[in-house]
Amino acid sequence: MNIQWMKRAAGAALTAVVTVGMLTGCGSASGSASAGGGKILYTVCDNDDAFRAKLSDGITAAAKDAGVTVDTKLCGSTVQDQVNDVASAKANGYSAIIVRATDASTALQLEVAADGLPIVFVNNMPDKSRLTANKYIYAGSDEEQAGQYQAQYVLKKLGNPKTMNVVILEGEKGHSGTIGRTSAVKYTLKDAGVDAQYVFVDYANWSDTEAEAKLNLFFKTGQKCDAIFCNNDTMALGAVKALKDQGLDPASIPVTGVDATTDGCASIAAGEMAFTVLQDAAGQGAAAVKAAAALGNGGTISSIDGATADGKYIWVPFVPVDSSNVSKYQN
Amino acid sequence: MGKKIEAKRQKTGKIRTKLLIYIMPVVIATIVVLVLLTATLSKQSMTKLAKNELDSSITNQGDNIESWLDKNLEFCATAKQTIENTHPDDTQLQTMLNSYYGFDKNSPNGLYIGTAGGKMYKASDSTKAESDVTSATWYKQGLTRVGMAYGAAYKDADGNNVISASGILNDGTDEIKVIAADVTLDQISIIVNSGVKMQDASSFLVDTADNTILAHRDSSLVSTTLSASDADPLMSGVAKALAARDYSEATIGNYMVAYDQISGTDWVLVSYIQRSVILADVFRLSNILVIIGAIAVVIISIMIAGIVSKVIAPISSITKNISDMSSGDFTIAVNAKSNDEIGVMGSKVGEFVTSMRKMITSINSESERLKAQSDSSDQVSKTMFDASQSQAEAMKELNETVDQLASAVNDIAQNATTLATVVSDTRENSEKADASMKETVDISQKGRSDMEQLSKAMSGIQETNNRLVESINKVGSASEEITNIVGLIGNIAEETNLLSLNASIEAARAGEAGKGFAVVATEIGKLAQTSADSANNIASLISEVHNLIGDAVGQANASADSIQQNSELIGTAVQTFDKIYANIQESNRLIEEMIKDVEKVDDVATNVAAISEEQAASADEILATSQNMVEQANNITRSSQDVADNSHELANTSETLTTYVQKFKI
Repeated sequence: MNIQWMKRAAGAALTAVVTVGMLTGCGSASGSASAGGGKILYTVCDNDDAFRAKLSDGITAAAKDAGVTVDTKLCGSTVQDQVNDVASAKANGYSAIIVRATDASTALQLEVAADGLPIVFVNNMPDKSRLTANKYIYAGSDEEQAGQYQAQYVLKKLGNPKTMNVVILEGEKGHSGTIGRTSAVKYTLKDAGVDAQYVFVDYANWSDTEAEAKLNLFFKTGQKCDAIFCNNDTMALGAVKALKDQGLDPASIPVTGVDATTDGCASIAAGEMAFTVLQDAAGQGAAAVKAAAALGNGGTISSIDGATADGKYIWVPFVPVDSSNVSKYQN
Repeated sequence: MGKKIEAKRQKTGKIRTKLLIYIMPVVIATIVVLVLLTATLSKQSMTKLAKNELDSSITNQGDNIESWLDKNLEFCATAKQTIENTHPDDTQLQTMLNSYYGFDKNSPNGLYIGTAGGKMYKASDSTKAESDVTSATWYKQGLTRVGMAYGAAYKDADGNNVISASGILNDGTDEIKVIAADVTLDQISIIVNSGVKMQDASSFLVDTADNTILAHRDSSLVSTTLSASDADPLMSGVAKALAARDYSEATIGNYMVAYDQISGTDWVLVSYIQRSVILADVFRLSNILVIIGAIAVVIISIMIAGIVSKVIAPISSITKNISDMSSGDFTIAVNAKSNDEIGVMGSKVGEFVTSMRKMITSINSESERLKAQSDSSDQVSKTMFDASQSQAEAMKELNETVDQLASAVNDIAQNATTLATVVSDTRENSEKADASMKETVDISQKGRSDMEQLSKAMSGIQETNNRLVESINKVGSASEEITNIVGLIGNIAEETNLLSLNASIEAARAGEAGKGFAVVATEIGKLAQTSADSANNIASLISEVHNLIGDAVGQANASADSIQQNSELIGTAVQTFDKIYANIQESNRLIEEMIKDVEKVDDVATNVAAISEEQAASADEILATSQNMVEQANNITRSSQDVADNSHELANTSETLTTYVQKFKI
């Protein structure tokens, strides 16, 4: 009786295992069968901004290369329109959505509207708590990397000094770019064994004039500085101006920015600003398409370059820009 | 009776134990699995809950600290902005500082301002003292920013661990002024420690710029540096995580640790809770489950034991019955009252006992009969064995007799063969005698023909004598010639005598058969002697005639008479020869007949030899057969020995069987 029961149980277990195995097999088979055939919706407010335009171009180009259909919808600046576009995606046969959130704080609403379709956020990063592994992810560049590149450039430029008087001009208080870029500069210097004296660290709210005014005030204190880190190019340009105001040669103190804006690149080309980092719009677009295709097929992002272990981010590297390669990024 | 009950209990106890041994592991395993599963699942969900709670606690706490900082900074910033916009003179500034004093309870020294020239402005009631303003930490920190912000912790002139919110007072004058307000770390500790939302969790605040502990429940740790080589694994673990900027929630030692970066500062709030606290409920739940499980095991054990005892109670009486049966007692009576399987079992045991009783009775009688039969069979087989033994002996004797017979027959055959050989030799000798006889016959025939020739010669002589007589008659002188003739006759007689001598010798050579012939030859010899004597007489007579008649011619006639006489005698001699011949013929015939008889004897002897040889062969065969028979008789003896043994054994077995069967009580 006992043995029979055991046999029966073993048989049932085996059947279950086989069935599950077959189902799993079927699942993966159908997944691979539709690989490359998925339809992806890309929603973005507009392509007026230079970076957004580059990002959209990157997505389109990557989709073409990968043989994936990507339909771009310009929703304008109204959040409601973007939510509506996302809500209709499933009915229209899309398997995944790439969203450049008009407002990153609406991520949850967008996810609900997607009705189960995976979303790849680009350019405007939602809060980490809004991301779900291999479901709602962000493909973009790691803000901290920008700060790391800045610090590494300066360290190299100054010949890996033991001590350094550092000025940091931060963006908006609480902004992810501000926090990530600033902290990365600090810890990169710390990790390199530099005894950094932060002689001036203040918010300049992305503004060149504010940056210039605050720096001038700093110079009034009579302190010296060896490098000026700015969270963006605009403030860097303000810093350059402040140096000029003080009658200093901007080239004597490395001024670094982020974004490789046209003005920034021009400043580098002119030998004033020392360094900036470029967000790789094409790379971000390609990563977003790859991620959307993989998630649309029920897969994961783990095999995509730059994917984090928690399955929530794909980091596309920034590109360091200095005088040696600035010409490539000047329009 | 008491003993019986005890035995019963012991027996039922065994079945109960067995059932418990089989069932209880399963029950215990199931309960253990359930407890483990429940404990594991609740541990997981409670850990998750705790994580979430810790997360929300630290986030909340972090937000509170941030807002507290912001509030302070905002106050400072507002005051700073007011001062900057007012461009007050020293008196006005003093008034303003006095008016702000006490507004922020967290900052007992109130706002104060230091200038690059070393001048210090503070509220009148403030106890803040600073001997060297420009070298004061707060001043130096203030120089690094325009907006109010907190700097690193330091020890102020009064020896208090403080952090200062400071910034450059941008009042448009050329002199650099730094406005600052202090917050003691004790105060921050109070804020941090009282802000912990999660029960039993603790928090501390670290400035990652220099790893200074800004706030901690243990006040001795405040303002110390967090080190990766700290003896406390929690502190060293936190230090390592901060160094690696790994702010993800982690388990360090026995603690669950969460981090929250305080926005606008380099500060990190660390919140931790002992896992044992989180898992206390799990342990409690597990303990309850274990207790419930143990109680369940006990209850189930008791229930199974009780049920089993009740169910198997009738079995014990059946067991007793079966025990009695196994010891051979079939006099038992089985009580089967219940109507379940055990009842059926009892009634069937009863039926079994009844049928066994019958069966044993019949087996008993059968075995006794079998024993008697086997005894008699044993007897019979013994007798048979004896008989076969004597038969074997008899056969042996018979065999010996046949053996002797065979050797006797063989002797006879040998003798017959010898006889045949002797007869054969005799025949050969007879044949040789026959041949000699034939030769004798030939010689006698020649003698006869010689005699016939002699007779013819005598006839010639007679004629001549007749002529001589005539001549004597004519002339008397012819008597001399007669005398010569008489001499001649004397010679012939001698010759015949010699011949008869020869015949005698031949007859002697013919042995027994020639005896008759010898007699004849002797007679011939005698006759020849007589002939010679007569011739001599004639000669003397002739001589007398011759002498007396001296040329008496008369005598010639006498001679003629004598010649006549001679011729008659010769005739007689011829007749004698004929008789000799006839006698020889006769003896020859007799010899031939004898030979024939000898041949017959030969044949018979040969036959006898052949027959006796056959007899010898037959005797040998008989001997072989009788030997076989001896062997068979021996076999029979052996077999009958076996039979005797077997039947003896059978007798023993049947006796044993009888003994066994008699053991059953019926």
